[in-house]
Parts: sequence; C-alpha cells; structure tokens
Amino acid sequence: MLVSWEWLSQYVKLNASPDDLATRFAMVGLNHESTTYVDGDAVVDLEITSNRGDCLGHIGIAREAAVLLNETLSIPKPTIASANLSMQSIQGSFAIENRYPEGCSRYQARILRDVKVGPSPAWLQKRLKAIGINSVNNVVDVTNFVMFECGQPLHAFDLAKIRGNKIIVRRADAGEKFVAIDHRTYELDPSMVVIADAERAVALGGVMGGVDSEVSESTTDLLIESAAFTPLAIRRCARKLRLHSPSSYRFERRVDPNGQTWATDRCCQLITEIAGGQCTPDAIDTASDLPSSEPITLRKSRIEKVLGIDVPWEQSIDILRSLGCIAKLSEEANQKTVAITPPSFRGDLTREVDLIEEIARVYGYDRIPENATVPIFVSSKRPKDVLLERVRSVATSAGLSEALTPSVVNKSANEAMSPWTQIGALQTQVPLLEGTTFLRRSIVPSLLQVYLINQSQQQRDAALFETATLYLPSDKPGALPREQFTLGWAAPLDPRTLHGMVEEFIARVAGRQKAASLNTVLKSYSVPYIQEGTGVWIEVNGQPLAWQGKLSRPTRDSLKIDADLSIGEIDLDLLLTHIELIPRLTPIVPYPVIQRDLNLIVDEAIRWQQLADVVVKAAGSTLIDCRYCETYRDPKKDGAGLKRVLFRMDFQSRDGTLTSEFADHVVQGVLAATSSQLGAKLLA
Amino acid sequence: MSLNDFVSALDQLATEAEQSLASVSDMSGLEDLRVRFVGAKNGQLKSINKMLAAVPADQKRSAGQHFNAVRDRVQAALDAAQNRLGSTGSVATSKGPLHDPTLPGIRPTLGHLHPITQTIEHLKEIMGRLGFSATEGPEIEDTWHNFVALNIPEDHPARDPLDNFYLATAKKTTQDPSAHDAMLLRSQTSTVQIRVMENHQPPLRIISLGRVYRPDAADATHFPMFHQMEGLWIDEHVTMAQLKSILRMFATSYLGEDVHIRFRPSFFPFTEPSVEVDYFWNGNWVEFGGAGMVDPNVLTAVGYDPERVSGFAFGLGVERLCMRRYAITDIRDLFRNDIRFLRQF
Repeated sequence: MLVSWEWLSQYVKLNASPDDLATRFAMVGLNHESTTYVDGDAVVDLEITSNRGDCLGHIGIAREAAVLLNETLSIPKPTIASANLSMQSIQGSFAIENRYPEGCSRYQARILRDVKVGPSPAWLQKRLKAIGINSVNNVVDVTNFVMFECGQPLHAFDLAKIRGNKIIVRRADAGEKFVAIDHRTYELDPSMVVIADAERAVALGGVMGGVDSEVSESTTDLLIESAAFTPLAIRRCARKLRLHSPSSYRFERRVDPNGQTWATDRCCQLITEIAGGQCTPDAIDTASDLPSSEPITLRKSRIEKVLGIDVPWEQSIDILRSLGCIAKLSEEANQKTVAITPPSFRGDLTREVDLIEEIARVYGYDRIPENATVPIFVSSKRPKDVLLERVRSVATSAGLSEALTPSVVNKSANEAMSPWTQIGALQTQVPLLEGTTFLRRSIVPSLLQVYLINQSQQQRDAALFETATLYLPSDKPGALPREQFTLGWAAPLDPRTLHGMVEEFIARVAGRQKAASLNTVLKSYSVPYIQEGTGVWIEVNGQPLAWQGKLSRPTRDSLKIDADLSIGEIDLDLLLTHIELIPRLTPIVPYPVIQRDLNLIVDEAIRWQQLADVVVKAAGSTLIDCRYCETYRDPKKDGAGLKRVLFRMDFQSRDGTLTSEFADHVVQGVLAATSSQLGAKLLA
Repeated sequence: MSLNDFVSALDQLATEAEQSLASVSDMSGLEDLRVRFVGAKNGQLKSINKMLAAVPADQKRSAGQHFNAVRDRVQAALDAAQNRLGSTGSVATSKGPLHDPTLPGIRPTLGHLHPITQTIEHLKEIMGRLGFSATEGPEIEDTWHNFVALNIPEDHPARDPLDNFYLATAKKTTQDPSAHDAMLLRSQTSTVQIRVMENHQPPLRIISLGRVYRPDAADATHFPMFHQMEGLWIDEHVTMAQLKSILRMFATSYLGEDVHIRFRPSFFPFTEPSVEVDYFWNGNWVEFGGAGMVDPNVLTAVGYDPERVSGFAFGLGVERLCMRRYAITDIRDLFRNDIRFLRQF
C-alpha cells in the first residue's frame, strides 16, 4: 500500500519524520518496504497483512498513525452543496435487484446528472500520481481517490448506457462472455458476480467494469456503485480470470460492511464540486440495516496469561478505544472485565485474543521481556536420531558424501527404476521444477543425475548417498501413501565394498550380536538396471531390507555416465525396528584363539552362505568366526564347474585353552560334513 | 641341510658383514654392502633364509632363532656404519634414499555431510538442550492437517491450487482443494504439530523438522523445496515472554554471542498474537522467522481446552540459517550437490 505523506496529513497531524514514522509503523504491524519521493511528496510503501483490509486506504493508515502519535484523527464529513441536490429521490425511478446475496452482501447506488466530464484538477492529479495511479478523467479519478482514501472501491457507470433503469446483481451464466474496460473478453462461470442491467452484463462485480458502460468524454449522467462483495467470490474470480485490480484486492480482504454510504457521499460530493451536476438526495441500498455486532468480553487476567506482562488495565482499554472500539466496563465476579464492541471496519477482531493482540502491538512488544523464567523440561534423542548418526557415520567412513535432491522427479527418472513397488508413482498437479511431477519411488535416479552434473565438471570420483522419504503408493485409492525413509547411494566403488557398507549399517544399528541373530537372506537381484551377476537383494526376517549392485552397462550408456557405478538402497524404517540402542558387553575371553584355514573344492552352484551354514553347524560352539577369504578357479587341475573357496575359522572356548588336537578334530568334522552334504573336497 | 650347516653359513655371513661394514668409507660403498647382505632380491641373508626350508622339521625352531639373531647383528652393523658416515658430512653426496618429512600422509577417504544436515543437527541439538524433542510426520498430507486444523479456512489464499503441490488422483485430474481428504505435499511442518497434539496431551515441547514444498520459481533465494524447523510448547502457563526468552536463548546459542530479539506484529492464521522475529547481529536486525501464541481455534481443533492450556509456536527456514552461517549465496547450490561444494563442509 503506497501512502502519500501529504495526503495522510489531511487526516492526522504528523509530528514525526517519514522515516521515523515508517519505523514506528513497522513496530505496530505495517511493515515498511521503502520510501520514495514524488514531486516533493514522501511516498511510503507499507506491507499490509491480509487480515488488515481496513489499512488499504489513507484513512485507515491515518487511524494507526493517530494512535501511534497520540493525535486526533479527523475524517472529513462529506456534504453535498444544496445547489447540487435539486433532483428527486432515486427511489421509484431506478431499481436494484440482488439475486446473489452470497456473492454481494450489499449494493448501493446513487445517480448524478449533467456532469461535465473533463480533466481532473491539479490537486487530484497530484494525489493519484504520488501513489502511481494514472489520471483518466475527473469522474474516474474521484472514484479512485475515494477508494484510496477510505478503502471502499467504487464504480461509475455511464447511466445512458444502463438499459431499463435497473441493476441486477446475479451469478454469471456458464460460459457467459464479458468485455471489460481493458478491452479483453473474459469467459465467466456461475461462481462469479455479474452486475447487469435489464439486458446484459455491465460489470464483473468487484473486479472490473465493462467497456460498454464506461465513463467517457461524452458522458453526462452517472450511476455510482458502492457495494460489499464477499471475499471468497472475488478472490476466486480474480484468480480464475487472472484479473487483479485494486478493487478486487480490497474486496478479497473484506471491506467495511458499514462503509458504503460514506464512500458514496464522499464520491458524490467531490464529483459535484469538481464536475458540477445534480445528485439524487438519497441512494438505493439493498442492505441498509446492518446487524449490530456482539460485544466481546475481555478479562484483565487473560492479558497477562497470554503476554506474560501486566499491562495497566486503564491503558489497555484506552488502546482499544483509540482503535475505534466501544468499551463498556464491568467489575463483576471478582475480576476486571470489559465488554468491547469493535468497529465495523475491523472484521479481524472477533475474539478476546484478537483484542489482546491489539493491546500488545500498541503497548509495544519491546516491553515484553526476553529473560522470562523457563522451567526445565526433559527431552531425549529418538531411536531414529541414533540410527541416523550411525548410518551417516558408516556412509561417510566408506567415503560417500551426502547429497540432497528434490523429492519430485521427471518421467525418465521415475521410469528408470522402482525396486520397492510395482504401483505407479503419485503425481503432483503442477511440476516442482521443470517437468518434474513424479513423487519418487527410488533415490538412485536422482543421485545418478547428481553424478552426471559432477562428471560434466570432471569430478568423476563423486561418491554419493542421500537419506530421504520414498513415496510408495497405497493399493487402496485415495489413501495416503507409505512413506519409506530410505538411504540410497551411487558411487564409483566396487559393489562388494558397498555390500560391506550395508553389512556395516546392519551391524552398527542392530549391534554385532543382534545382527548375527537376524535371519538375513541374500538373493540374486536381476533387473535391467543392474549388471548381471552383481545384484544382491537382502531380506531380513522375511522382509526386504536392501538391494545393491553395479549399474548395468545399457543403463549407464543411456545416461551417458562414463564410469562404473555401484547403486543401492536400504530401508531405514525397517532397519530401525531392529535397532539396539545400548550395546551390552560380552566378556572378553582370556584364552587364545586357534585359527585354521580350509581351501575346499566345491561345485560352482554352492553359495558361500550354504557352505558357511554347514561349517557353523558341524563345528559347534567353539567356532567363534568363519570368514570368507577368496574364491579361485583352476579348471585344468580341479575340473570344469568347480571352484576353490578359501576361508578361515577361529576357534575359542570360554572354559579354557583349546588344544591343537581339538581344533584338528573339529576341522575333521567340518570336512566330513561339507563332503557329505555339499560334495566338497579338501584341496590336496 | 643339517642345522649345523645352516648355522655355520649364518655365522660366516655375520662375520663377513661386520668386518666389511666396519671398514666401509663412503655412502656408495655402504649401499653396495647393504644390497649384498640384506638386499630384498638376492641379498645373502635372503639366500640363507631360503635354505631354512631344507632344515629338518624338528630343527626348524632352533634354525629360525639363529637366523633372527644374525639378521639383527647385520642390521646393527648397517645402522652403525650409516651413523658413522652420516655424521662425517658425506650425506649430501650419498645416493641413498633420504627421508622427506614434508611428504603428505595417506589420508582416509571420508565423505562429508550436507550443510543442511549439519545445520539441522545443530538446531536439534540446541533445541534439545532447551527441552524440545524432535518429531517428524508425513510429507504428503491431507487438507485437514495442512489447513483446516491450522485455522486456514476454505476461502484462505494459502489453499489456492496454484500455491500448493496438490496430488493428481486417478479419478480426476484435479482435486477439489476444499475437500478434507485432498492430498498435497505439505507446505509447512506445522502439520506435524497437529498430529502430535491429536495424539498427546500437554505438556508438550517439540520441534518438527523436515522438507516442505511451495511453488516458487527457483532462483538465488527461492527453491520449491526447502526445510523448516517449527517449535511448539503447550502447557498451562506459557506466555509470549517465554516465547521471546526461548528464541533469545536459541539465537544466543546458535550465534555464539548474547543477542537480542525483536518482535514485530504480523499475521498467521494459526497463531494469535502473531509476530515476525528479528535478532540483532552485527549492527542490524536480521529476520529470524515467524512466531506467535497458538490460536485458540487450533487448540480447539485438536481437542484441547484453550481456557486451560496455552502455548507458542515458531517457524524458521533452515536454508536461510544455513546459508548465512556458511556464506552460501545461492540456494540452488544446496541442491546441485557439486562434490567440490559438499567437500567444503
């Protein structure tokens, strides 16, 4: 809201500099944006919050200034010279029919005749120029001046163009066409308010007038409209047609339901003063009897309870009175209360707490202390915070850096992979960024894009991870999706190294003991985006926990990535269900460990997990660790379809030192079991 | 090979090495002797070591002990010669490898955490010390939690389809934003507060942190996805003075110096009174975030009695705090993830 200093001075004595007052305005909620000078007049731009429609005119700002500066507000009383009031009453000669009271709660009109349309006087042009409004002619300029004076939009019709001596306020017909003053044609819908005469629409209520009935040089007779349109109807209309005007801006923020008469009178006064003519002594009004608003009870005790300070009771009431409220004191039931009736232009004051805010902002928020007592309160880390610390520490230790990418991806990223669900992605109605409407079902495509950005900067060693939510749609339509908190990675590292990272995630989160007791099943993961023979799908206790592998050559080539990347994801929500927050010490065994290595020749089809299971079972409780070392193939010596698997076993007892003979004996048992169950042979 | 043969070969080598090393007179001569006796490929010690395999198994232990003793004697003689020649000043002319203490070490390859994550952890840590526990909630919300319960009625501009990321549904391409079950990407983390209040009775002291989404064109200061931290304290006697005090303690801890807090009146549907919060830093008032006392309508919507309990809420943009702290000038850099950017944090 642009405020002219000279204009403002008409209503209140401004015994402060523009800069000083702007700062003080900010402290009562009228945020100062900038100050400029137009023809020597200081023009202050104030940001008005959407609840303060009453401040969208100079008088509203003057009211705030008067309270701030402790000055008297003087609002002009519009009086039309008797010489200009020789016309008969408008009643009977003109009619208004309101068929859409949900869109227009009040419509008032008054008629002027024999008006001489022409240029505006210098003082009027100066006022409008200061706030950036072009001068059109004296009639239109007066309607604008009054709007920027009191906040009530007005419209002047050329009465000669209004057919049938009648105004009908109605809903627009579906598909109805309307040509506005801007000479553009708009297609309307039935939620919009149309102002029509007996035959056709002449204005889009609260938004813009029609080109057919606009005031021109040849106009002599006028119909002045002063109405209250409902905020929602105007907002939807302005949005839908992308037609925003100073009028619609004010109606969207609610005009004073009692402010139409003053605005009409003021407008007629100024037009007759400037452009001459005769004015009807009265107006037609569809809703002249306004319901009086109920008073609000304000308790002294409540002010302190909300603000934490004791505002003197008399001062609190004075503040509300200065803002235009009517206060009626009562001292019943042992507590100080007052019945407050807010002025009609303050539609934002409906509750006790709204009044307390008024008292606070005028009394001064700087009087609220910043060293109040705050009782201590227990807070603690959530298990999820602990999990995050642990997985982040593992990922960064593995050399991965954390990326942060948008949750909504484009079509190709969406279609690239979806390891967790076969149900199609949810979409936003409008894209987040260009072309991105798909709520992602995997983090990896986003990380591959990040890798590409780094590759284009010759940063080929970018090893990346991200923790974020995946949106896995429900199979029930309309239900909120499952949001799976997931860690994903894409890194130019060996897939087995990253498989090791997954094992470390599990071990660090669940603890070594619990991790070992989980029923972890590893399967081959075969999908087009993973290189054949590298993909691993990991399940824990029957639930999918993670997947990983090397990015397949075709996918790599199609993305133009020129390095081998390993990719994968782990479901952190599932991992969280296995968290061990506090590790418990397993006593260190004081007896030595005996190691034995075995190099077994087995069939290619035998997986390590199978072999290890047989070994663990056969070796019994003294086997404390069984570690894979390497696989070697020598078809010439061993025959085709066979491989050598080298592994190491650690033996230890809690009860005493194991003998070499004991270890050899156990190893013989292991050899017998692997031979009989898996056909394994010891390498000679 | 018997143990005796092995031991005599070793002794002979030891004598020879000690004699020649005692008389060597320059660094190049020393280097020749080093290669001859202890060279990794064909040094005499290496050759004898190979013979160890041929010693009978029951004598291996003894042979090994002898070998180690001789190896140590030879090394001692080498060290003595090195010291003797080194101290006579012929180092500069020697061809031997010189220790370069300025060579870099071998560093582990460690990753870096994103600056936003580091900022969030910092905020959580400070708020944790002030008694606020972290909470989270879904990023996809219904209009009840994102608007209605937050006192944002149907006719409020904040609900406009152009100002939110509503989800497209299978049945219709556009949802009616007035329907309570319309889904959208949350535009604020206050939704989490509603979910917590619906399920817990006061007292409550929580912060909610996470991603929020608003249709802003991406530029140096805007991005359609960003992070918010919102604080909420509900109890029987919570006042604006405590709001100001908590925010001052928070700012003082975050900035590391005693700072002052300023309230400016503002308007948010879910708080009344509502204020903009500034902190005084380096001679200027810097915008901190929005705050206020929880609106009685919000308390009523979650089933609390506004006559009995009150509370405050505040919201801060994580990106703004992060960028100011680390001198980042373009918000898009945070989401571009150039590895040279990430490695600086």
